[in-house]
Amino acid sequence: MKKRIGYLCVMLLVMVFAAGCQSEKSGSDDGTVEIEFWSAPNPPQQAFWTDMAKKYMEETDGVKINVTPMPESPSSEAGIQSAIAAGSAPTISENISRGFAAQLSDSSAIVPLNEFEGFEELLKERHMKETIKSWKFADGNQYVLPIYSNAMLFAWRIDILNELGFEEVPKTHSEVLEVGQKLKEQYPKKFLWARADLVKPTWWARWFDFFMIYNAASKGNNFVEGSDLIADDQAGIATLELFDKLSKNDLLLTRQVTDPFETGQSIMMDIGPWTFSYWDEKFPEMKLGEKYELAMPPVPDGVSPEDAKTFADTKGLSIYASATKEQQQAAFDFVKWVYSNPEHDLAWFKQTNLPPARDDLSENETFTSYLEENPQLKEYAKNIPNAVPPIDNAETVAIQKLIGTNALIPVIKGEKSPEEAWKDMKEAINGVLK
Amino acid sequence: MFASPYLVYSLIFFLFPLLWATYLAFTNWNLISPDYEFVGVQNFVQAFFSESVRAAFFVTYKFLAMFVPIAVIGALCLALIISALPRFKGLFSVAFFLPYLASGVASAIVVNGILSYNSPFNIWLRSTFGLDINWLGSPVLAALIIALMMAWKFMGYYALLFVAGLESIPKDVYEAARMDGAVGWKKFWYVTIPMLYPSFYTVTILAVGLMFGIFTEPYVLTGGGPDLATHTWQLEIYQQAFERLHAGYGTSIAVINSIVTFASILVFRKILEVWGAKHGWE
Repeated sequence: MKKRIGYLCVMLLVMVFAAGCQSEKSGSDDGTVEIEFWSAPNPPQQAFWTDMAKKYMEETDGVKINVTPMPESPSSEAGIQSAIAAGSAPTISENISRGFAAQLSDSSAIVPLNEFEGFEELLKERHMKETIKSWKFADGNQYVLPIYSNAMLFAWRIDILNELGFEEVPKTHSEVLEVGQKLKEQYPKKFLWARADLVKPTWWARWFDFFMIYNAASKGNNFVEGSDLIADDQAGIATLELFDKLSKNDLLLTRQVTDPFETGQSIMMDIGPWTFSYWDEKFPEMKLGEKYELAMPPVPDGVSPEDAKTFADTKGLSIYASATKEQQQAAFDFVKWVYSNPEHDLAWFKQTNLPPARDDLSENETFTSYLEENPQLKEYAKNIPNAVPPIDNAETVAIQKLIGTNALIPVIKGEKSPEEAWKDMKEAINGVLK
Repeated sequence: MFASPYLVYSLIFFLFPLLWATYLAFTNWNLISPDYEFVGVQNFVQAFFSESVRAAFFVTYKFLAMFVPIAVIGALCLALIISALPRFKGLFSVAFFLPYLASGVASAIVVNGILSYNSPFNIWLRSTFGLDINWLGSPVLAALIIALMMAWKFMGYYALLFVAGLESIPKDVYEAARMDGAVGWKKFWYVTIPMLYPSFYTVTILAVGLMFGIFTEPYVLTGGGPDLATHTWQLEIYQQAFERLHAGYGTSIAVINSIVTFASILVFRKILEVWGAKHGWE
């Protein structure tokens, strides 16, 4: 009996090790190349890629594409990192931001897409030569093919602005403060902007507050290039000054609030196109031109609003270095097939509401009727070339955390002057970039 | 021999990872690169001088000071109420145990909703008392709210352990105490509490250990703020290893966390044993 249990334990050990050591199979005996595609962990995107993979496999022999949602434990980035560490990374995945791609490329975990044959042709076919320019990494390579690009905008409660005597949304910092002053005079309990994340150290929150205003002020300065902090001092201080004045005039509500913009508690909000399906369901009265207007972030006085840039909430596809050359090529061919037809981008747009990262989105006839039906998406389509993607540095997380802890949060809390905060932040970031 | 499956399991899932983690703590591995170097004690030195690691150390003891008394006393009260019930003890025990099964993320989102600026609760506080409280914006209140959430979640579970302890106290001990004149409060203080020593021991050690592993609640509610007031060991490890990809450094913090946890549990164990010995528990 003892011997049997002993054998059982040994077998168990062998099985566990065998399972851990087995190499990933890249194809079957009949020459079929099998690739693993990780979609973003949300049903619309998973449905889109499942449908694309099915159609591609019907048209193409010798390829099998398994589409599965990427694990979120507790974030999709952590899920990918764990998979790479465990040797179970997919062949290709979407949902890759530029900052995360910088971390991955820094460790050679993803491959440069520009080295695949047909890359230039893909850019041409999808009309994305301009959009992808800002995605070039410091080493000159393209590690991510952007799928969508949300030029983050501000929504303004135009009905309340009209009540306050304004016909248009404010375009400059002083116009914003003027609106704020009128708002407090008429509605002391309302706020200009309600955003709890403004005082949270969460690194990615800076994309939707600091970088929106900073990109507008700096006309799209890259902030960091390679290992150099090239932030625009004048634009940075002007950005912090705006937050400082908004805070001192009690125009910011930095507490958790449920639907503040929709209920009129605040009159401005950072907004991406994902909000519209929520409004359709819960706030059908939110109509463009009646209740709200969309606008690019305000610029400092002296900067033309026409030059305003904004933050691009944008993600794309990357191919993993751990896959075989055969799998990598098969994955690239699939991507090329998907983006060779604008109808696929239209299907994506309809399914996800996320604007495809194309230069011709607002002009291409394929998308005209959909944009006419959904006028709220027009402003996003128009501003794709004006949107700046996240920093491409492996220390993006640390840098954006320092923007929050050393500059934005203390300024909003009145603990530092904008100049002092900017100086402290730059010193801290330079320490990280060394 | 019968213990060998468990030993094999422990070997694979505990001992090997522990040894591997200890080794990684001395490297600069970034989690995804196949190349890394041995950096000696550099990670530990960096952790020693890190403001966020220091914050995690003190924040844990702050949570401990708030959570352990609330959870232990609350669980004991619940257990006393459940044991005194004439009927449906099982039903009530299960009902109080249910929060333990609730997802930390879901309960954090609910709490976020309750404490939001325009929640009915806050609107009522403002309109009735003129009180405008920034619940998660105040360092003390944010920590207290997280401690209370944890207590709500675990109190029912700990109460079950106390109920089992109460049920196991022999009736003749109470009878002997009654004959010696111990009734009411005296009976509770001099008989029930000392006789519950094994339950107190288990519950306190579990509660202390739990405080070194808090992650979900501060991750969802506060992100570790305000001013690192709710920044825990697990948040720091997650941020370093998975957000900044400093896995070697993150692992060194995890090793320090394990040592601090072990030492703290030993201290609490000793205190409990001294208290138990006073009442004849060896």
